[in-house]
Amino acid sequence: MIIIMAWRNIWRNKMRSLVIMMSVIIGLFAGIMVLALYKGMLQGRVKTVIYAEVGHIQIHDSNFKKDYEPSYILKNGDDILTQLKKIPQIKSIALRSITQGMLSTTTGSAGIQINGIVSESENEVSQLSKKIIEGKGFDPRKKNEALIGKKLADKMKLKLNSKLVLTFIDSSANLVSGAFRVAAIFQSDNAPLDERNIYVRQNELNDLLSIAGNYHEIAVILDKNQNTEIIKQQLQKQFPDKSIESWREISPETDLMVNTVDVYSYIIIIIILFALAFGIINTMLMAILERTREIGMMTALGLNKLKMFLLVLVETIFLTIAGTPLGLMISWLIINYYNKHGLDLSGMGKDLMSSFGFSTIIYPEFPIEKIISVMLIVIITALLSSLFPAIKALKLQPVEALRK
Amino acid sequence: MNTVIDAHNISKIYNKENIPVYAVNNVHLHLQKGEFTALVGPSGSGKTTLLNLIGGLDKPDDGKIEINGVEITSMTSNQLIDFRLKNIGFVFQSFNLIPVLTAKENAEFIMQLQGINKKEREKRISTLFKQIGLEDRLNSRPSQLSGGQQQRVAVARALASKPQFVLADEPTANLDSKSAANLLDIMALLNKEENMTFIFSTHDQRVIERARRVITLVDGRIFSDTAKVETDIPHEITSNTT
Repeated sequence: MIIIMAWRNIWRNKMRSLVIMMSVIIGLFAGIMVLALYKGMLQGRVKTVIYAEVGHIQIHDSNFKKDYEPSYILKNGDDILTQLKKIPQIKSIALRSITQGMLSTTTGSAGIQINGIVSESENEVSQLSKKIIEGKGFDPRKKNEALIGKKLADKMKLKLNSKLVLTFIDSSANLVSGAFRVAAIFQSDNAPLDERNIYVRQNELNDLLSIAGNYHEIAVILDKNQNTEIIKQQLQKQFPDKSIESWREISPETDLMVNTVDVYSYIIIIIILFALAFGIINTMLMAILERTREIGMMTALGLNKLKMFLLVLVETIFLTIAGTPLGLMISWLIINYYNKHGLDLSGMGKDLMSSFGFSTIIYPEFPIEKIISVMLIVIITALLSSLFPAIKALKLQPVEALRK
Repeated sequence: MNTVIDAHNISKIYNKENIPVYAVNNVHLHLQKGEFTALVGPSGSGKTTLLNLIGGLDKPDDGKIEINGVEITSMTSNQLIDFRLKNIGFVFQSFNLIPVLTAKENAEFIMQLQGINKKEREKRISTLFKQIGLEDRLNSRPSQLSGGQQQRVAVARALASKPQFVLADEPTANLDSKSAANLLDIMALLNKEENMTFIFSTHDQRVIERARRVITLVDGRIFSDTAKVETDIPHEITSNTT
């Protein structure tokens, strides 16, 4: 009876209840959209980190990353490579020679990281070829070619075929230089990365570094992200003297974002629903004040305080959650649409997004795993919103209420 | 005699701090099972206040009230709610029914609160709605019923849980003559068939004429207490005025 009465009561003033339901629908949509956008942005960022920057796992000499000394080559690299090829979860492998150096042109110079790569394997691991916006990549007929990021090219006023000089220290600590020409300009979602990195052929860099046939880094792509920690531990056991790092360790800021963004999303939802709670409280108070005599009559007839409290509580919950299915459905439809077509946020500042390593096209994902939490927040909002009106109803004395 | 209501020297005073107003002033009243009693008097004479006190909706400032030998004046508000639920039926002047419930659901309301099972509720509702002549309006909402029909449903609700007595506060005040007469016929019938005790507060001469006992209140005191000679329901007049 209480449930029937509560449900019918919310339809006594249809317009008022519909306004509250619309508020819940809009609030819920806003909250879920925030979750979906964050999820989409982070998934995009994680994908970029893994598939365009560092891979799932990287292997170095344990001293290499201290100051990127070219002499710390990956000893027994070919043995490691042979072992890696036996692991079925490993899908692709790239070998990189790396050194820190200086890029000089006629207009100036910049500190950079020079990556010696093998095009085919690098394209599998970091999809470098897909990021090329000018030029075609390394030409097998030409020597000493370099691929540079757009931001660096703009900064150094470099164009295709422009000449540049790379200066760095070789494995014997001798200063060496090499002249290269720009074969292609690439652009990724991570502008700082584009500004810092330059790619050359591995054999050419190795010759200059005097480490022919060697390399400093093995980057690995796995079949799925969930296997990262397992494979990392397995490799650490196999090669205890090497530095084995997952993308989480190499890009800790991304991991931090993944771990903290949920908290921020929930805070935003709670703020939205907190504001909404005042609307619900107002509506319920009006409903109680309008029904003072009726409440007095029911109390006179023998409706006890617990049942009166329950009536207001259930009514508030119905009022709050009645709009929830529609809110969820609208959110799902809109999020799914943008998940397929992408939400272009370039109008908000492409450079700004890129400077933080985010793509300007977001593919929001419906946060299905968080719907229960969102529903709990909605119900808690309803429960808290019902308290004040319920207390107001309980305080009514039947004799006084019946006089009104 | 089976005493249902026993009020001993009850008083209700408003505005105690400044100029005290005695809404009910030292009233002593006994009502027996099966009485059909009207409380009459001018506006402000204390009829509704006396009904509220007897019905446990309000507490007297002085005196005590016993219902079937149980003192209700010392009960807490929660105990009173429970006591009212089990012992007293109410018919109010207007806005008597819960608008979101059908006639049947309104009549079932108290029985549901009492935890009476569905089968028993159905049986009782069927009997009562036949008695009030609304067996074809069971599923109508109050807004679909006339004022008279609503009051009949209210009477059915008051009687549904078989209370000790029914208190009716000006039940015919908002009804036309025909509806009022019809309602009184029904209450008289239920009084006779179920030996239900009815106490009305009223201004309505038609109700006064049908009552078997008429208690007149003036300024919160019992001015007169008259039992009609022709009544076939025996009762004992023990009220006094002081």
